[in-house]
Amino acid sequence: MQEHLSERVEELVAEGMTRRDAEFRARREFGNVTRIEEQSREVWQWPRLESMWADAKFAMRQLQKTPGFTVTAIVTLALGIAVNATMFSMVSAFLMPQLPGHLPEQMVVLSSIDPNGHFLPDANLVSPANYLTWGRETRTFAAMAAEDPYRRGSLAGDGEARAESVQYAAVSVNYFAVFGAVPQWGRSFEDGEDVAGRDHVAILSHGLWERRFHGDRAVIGKTVRLNRADYTVVGVMGADFRLLGFTEQLWTPLSLSAADGSPGARGNRSLVLFARLQAGVTLAQVRAEMHRLADQAAQDYPETEKGWGAAARMLPDYLVYSFGIRNALTVMMTIVGFVLLIACGNVAGLLLTRAVGRQKELAIRLSLGASRARLVRQLLTEGLVLALMGGGVGLLLSAAGVRFLQANLNFNAAISAVPVRLDRNVLLFALGISLLSALLSSLAPALKASRTDMNGDLKGEGRSTTGGCSQSRLRSVLVGGEIALAMALLVGSCLLIRGIYLLEHQKLGFERDHLLTAGVVLDPARYGDAGKQIEFERGILGKLEAIPGVDSAAIASYLPASGADRSPIQIRGEVERAASERQTALDVVVSTNYLRVAGIGLVRGRGFTSADKAGTPSVVLVNQEFVRRFFRGGDAVGRRVRVDIGDGPPMWSEIIGVVSDVKTFSEGPDVDPEVYQAFLQRPVMSFSLMLRSSVDVGTLTPALRQAVGQMDGDLPLLRVMSMEEVIESQRYGNPLFEQLLGTFALLALTLAAIGIYGLIAYSVGQRTQEIGIRLALGAKGSDIARMILRQGLQVAAIGAGVGLVLAVPLPRLFDAMFVGIRFGSVAIYPTVAAAMLMVVVFATWVPARRAARVDPTTALRSE
Amino acid sequence: MGNKDGYRDLFPGALELMILQTLYRKPMHGYALAQHIKAVSDELLQIEEGSLYPALQRMLKAGWLESEMGVSARNRPVRIYKVTAAGGKRLEAEISSFEKMFAGITRVLGTA
Repeated sequence: MQEHLSERVEELVAEGMTRRDAEFRARREFGNVTRIEEQSREVWQWPRLESMWADAKFAMRQLQKTPGFTVTAIVTLALGIAVNATMFSMVSAFLMPQLPGHLPEQMVVLSSIDPNGHFLPDANLVSPANYLTWGRETRTFAAMAAEDPYRRGSLAGDGEARAESVQYAAVSVNYFAVFGAVPQWGRSFEDGEDVAGRDHVAILSHGLWERRFHGDRAVIGKTVRLNRADYTVVGVMGADFRLLGFTEQLWTPLSLSAADGSPGARGNRSLVLFARLQAGVTLAQVRAEMHRLADQAAQDYPETEKGWGAAARMLPDYLVYSFGIRNALTVMMTIVGFVLLIACGNVAGLLLTRAVGRQKELAIRLSLGASRARLVRQLLTEGLVLALMGGGVGLLLSAAGVRFLQANLNFNAAISAVPVRLDRNVLLFALGISLLSALLSSLAPALKASRTDMNGDLKGEGRSTTGGCSQSRLRSVLVGGEIALAMALLVGSCLLIRGIYLLEHQKLGFERDHLLTAGVVLDPARYGDAGKQIEFERGILGKLEAIPGVDSAAIASYLPASGADRSPIQIRGEVERAASERQTALDVVVSTNYLRVAGIGLVRGRGFTSADKAGTPSVVLVNQEFVRRFFRGGDAVGRRVRVDIGDGPPMWSEIIGVVSDVKTFSEGPDVDPEVYQAFLQRPVMSFSLMLRSSVDVGTLTPALRQAVGQMDGDLPLLRVMSMEEVIESQRYGNPLFEQLLGTFALLALTLAAIGIYGLIAYSVGQRTQEIGIRLALGAKGSDIARMILRQGLQVAAIGAGVGLVLAVPLPRLFDAMFVGIRFGSVAIYPTVAAAMLMVVVFATWVPARRAARVDPTTALRSE
Repeated sequence: MGNKDGYRDLFPGALELMILQTLYRKPMHGYALAQHIKAVSDELLQIEEGSLYPALQRMLKAGWLESEMGVSARNRPVRIYKVTAAGGKRLEAEISSFEKMFAGITRVLGTA
């Protein structure tokens, strides 16, 4: 190019121009040399990336110069990002679970659809008969396996470890093969090991192996005693074989006999079916096929199958669905999302304020030839640097948050089996929301700032006006927006917290204090005979009541308010219905003293006595809901009812008394009709011991163990805990939920309050000159204060209005999401609105008062 | 991006077309190229000479031109630009599309 110019100059000179004129002319014809040089060079560079890096370095320098602003912005963003990342770690653990085996996304889970079901009705277990039939008749699966996952067994103590009760699963021998999972040590089950005689083999889970067998590889080939039978350990699964929600500690082969396929056993639904899709088959095809098979079964066996359907879900979907935590997590993520938005709003306000201060600098850059896009890019880069730093600090904070979650997510075995940690998903998410926050918080201020009036800013006039009409409008939008978000969030949180609180403090219908409980499972080998079971009951109750400090003892097949079996019943005198359409009631077997021990009141008739035993007429107690539901309030005492429990001949029992209602679950509002049967007349093998005492129940545990040990040294006790602890453990995380909600709501309110205060205070500060003029023109201090207050409240009113409108559908939404809890309280809306109002008034009033006290002359002189 | 300040009346690609055509006939350096275009167009086209250079760089990057060191009329070292085989193909393609466009505009304007 130099040469170009020189040649031109020579030419012109040769034509007769003076050198100087020639140089001018040549340059003019050429154009802006520097710029063209730049453009030519840019062709070969990556100009965007290079200038972005330059911007980033510049941004960091600028941020260092204003540490107050920088620290505030970073901390604000860090808080918003930290809560999001922490909650997302739960989302990653529970909604994006790691799946074991080979190509787990091609696995399907088959379940039954219960026509009368409440909770997850289409995730019911499948009967063995259906498993066998479907296994034979489906064409869409390459392989199918079955699992009975809810078996309980007692592992006998072996010198080192105590007898313990474990949950285990019986699986078809191809189970691990269908998943494509290989044991870490040893081998999987082999064909033929599901036949009686060869089926006493077991595969241990990694957790059990490490915990009880200390990771000793020599355990393979050893014998363990499960349910009083010897099993040979043939393999140990790796730590990665884990299905969300399944907590079996070991696996044994599932032996199905002809009896399991008989029509009578069809009602025994106990299996989960896992199947691998054939190549090219879609879920829709599978569903169609299952639909056909279920219809066929309903036709062939209407007694048990009428109305029942079959469902198929992809494995990841099934695991997440049956865990049941999706709704709670959705709510939490939305709430922390709002918190992040509020944080971004705060930072946007800060950036706006800061940009106003830099108008001169930006104007100079514009006049030097920077394009507006370039300026915006530089401001966005600053926002990006801030957000990335905020994200880094936020991740550090969320490490602490995740630790907190891990410590508190232990309310039941299924939850604590899931590892919650800062995995790759969370890190990517944190990066993503940092970028998003950068965009949200710096886009609007950047666009505003770059649209400056060059002339005015260069002359320094900009700052003495109100910073531009559009800027104050943006500020109002920010304030209004934050108020709306905060309001919606607060209303939502308050509704949830209140709903949970009411749920936890409701009357359950019995007395839960001073009650010690323990679970017992009698094994069939020693207690197969009803007589032995009764003998045990007599013996243990006698021993328990002999313990000093114990008022009375009882046993119950299910503890109160902890769910129970549901059995079909038939009232004498009413029309018999088909088995699948019968009315049902909760069915609990209790000992004589139960009502007294549990503190449940008798409303009519009499309770059980020791005279109600085997051989005497069968008697039952029912609850008030039973009377309401089935006798429409008429007299139940003396009527006869039949409880159909599957095995044994149906027996008519007389209702001898009505007891007061007890909630079915401590977590739900339902009270179901309930029938109590006498243990002496219908003994069961799995029940809970209950001791009512006048002393602190914790002190009774050793005596309890001793009493049981005296009865049977091999019998392990499950879950020895006070009734209050039992109720606690059913809470399924509600206290944690409440804690988190409360924290987030408080955080949102604080951030919003700070943000609003900052924005309003700044805008008032901007208007010092205007205020000075007003004062000079005769306004009083109180007039100024009132004007500013009024303007602030106007914005607040709009924001609050929007927030309330957003919050209106919340109660109904929560009702649908969390079945069984009643949300909705009209009082919450005005309360939250009043709280927000107070915050806004405070945030407006303080700067307003300061503005009112301004001395007009100083105001007018200030720049 | 990039303001082609001197070319408000030309369609995009015109500059590349003219450069390719000129260099196709005879490889030359930047100044000679600028003078040639000005001379041949009889001063009808007012070009900002400098905008040749970024265009030349772009075409070098795209592989339509190649450059080698040569000597200017004043015996100074300069870059001489030459059209490559790919550039030749590009030239043909551009000429044909230019002719199509021109024919189209002519038809619209109603002149023969």
